[in-house]
Amino acid sequence: MHADSLSAVQCETTHGVEGEGCITCGDVAVPLRVLKVDQDRGLALCEDERGRHETVEIALIAPVEQGQSVLVHAGTAIAGLPAEAFAPEGAQR
Amino acid sequence: MKYVDEFRDPELGRALSGEILGLVEPGHHYKLMEVCGGHTHSIYKFGIDDLLPENVELVHGPGCPVCVIPMGRVDDGIALAHQPGVIFTCFGDMLRIPGSNGSLLDAKAEGADIRMVYSPLDALRIAKENPDRDVVFFAIGFETTAPSTALTLKRAKAEGVTNFFCMCNHVTIVPPLRALLDSPDLRLDGFIGPGHVSTVVGARPFEFIPADYGKPIVVAGFEPLDVLQAVHQILKQLAEGRCEVENQYTRVVPYEGNLRALEVMSEVFELRPHFEWRGLGFISHSGLKLSDAYAELDAELRWDVPGIRVADPKACQCGEVLKGVIKPFECKVFGTACTPERPIGTCMVSSEGACAAYYNYGRFAREREVV
Repeated sequence: MHADSLSAVQCETTHGVEGEGCITCGDVAVPLRVLKVDQDRGLALCEDERGRHETVEIALIAPVEQGQSVLVHAGTAIAGLPAEAFAPEGAQR
Repeated sequence: MKYVDEFRDPELGRALSGEILGLVEPGHHYKLMEVCGGHTHSIYKFGIDDLLPENVELVHGPGCPVCVIPMGRVDDGIALAHQPGVIFTCFGDMLRIPGSNGSLLDAKAEGADIRMVYSPLDALRIAKENPDRDVVFFAIGFETTAPSTALTLKRAKAEGVTNFFCMCNHVTIVPPLRALLDSPDLRLDGFIGPGHVSTVVGARPFEFIPADYGKPIVVAGFEPLDVLQAVHQILKQLAEGRCEVENQYTRVVPYEGNLRALEVMSEVFELRPHFEWRGLGFISHSGLKLSDAYAELDAELRWDVPGIRVADPKACQCGEVLKGVIKPFECKVFGTACTPERPIGTCMVSSEGACAAYYNYGRFAREREVV
């Protein structure tokens, strides 16, 4: 993928302002699914369970693959998760 | 969602609650500290304390990084935000923390260019979009957040961004735990260890708690059954006369932590000789600053900051709350002069703060049914 396509993505998520606590300040992380990976720049475009997109640093857990689930805190993936850990809203559980 | 639904199963919760009841010794009062603000939030959101026997008390620890920021650091941040040409960026919860003369939100109202970001990467993006302005990122958080700041600083340096600076307020988890354990006014039986901090540092750094202080610690996740299981594991250790580090959150926390994260942190940061914590005072080697290799990105070297120590308001008892000596509702100003809308203390500001959790979930007094 083109290197600039990830940097153009704005952080669309509103985690932390929906009454679930502040993910950036607290010891809280959220599972996201990887949509696209830019291994060279150490970034991945991810989506949360509501389909909102966020660009995430992946250097700490690289290599990351498309479709993988990752645990993200303050814009950085801090751990990989089993693939079945993530399910979009409304999906079969 | 997988790994969420099964950790919120009411049947399992009730069964675990029953097992916990069988582990406690009647007449003994158990005090367990949940270190992390995220756990405090879960406990009150899900009513976990109502599932525990009356003689098991959960005490809230200093694990909310916003809550432990002293007023002087807020004042320093505001001073930086007022520097000509500066765009000051920080996480949302920081905006309303009271300094000695108002908050960052007040400074924004007075004209300072202060912007909320969700990650350090967002702050770097603002710097790239505004090459004629200096962008300061107010970095805060424990080891969960510090790698994120470190990676962003590495990225800024590698990409030659010269208008991005960091005011570093990152803190480390072990020194305050040691300070609490050394505190004479607090008797604890065990700890629920921080889940996502441990994703980075691992469970190994907590080995001093059983080794030096003879107390069990169980690193735990944030779903209700995670917390209940951690309480069960701690009480089981106590019942069996053991004290160990146990990892309940194995689905995310490796015992050794994330070695890459630790590596990047040691490259970008170094320990400060001491750092002030709200309510706990100065604690040696508990705060991080930028290493010499990253000195050109250090906002505290780029500008003069006042660096004055400011005493907390007399009415505020955040210190005692952070140490677990009193419950939030025992504070003189809780829910009256100090509310989330008009906070006096930091614990009422942050959504991870113990006072905010008590206030938001209606825990104005300890009224429980006997289990």
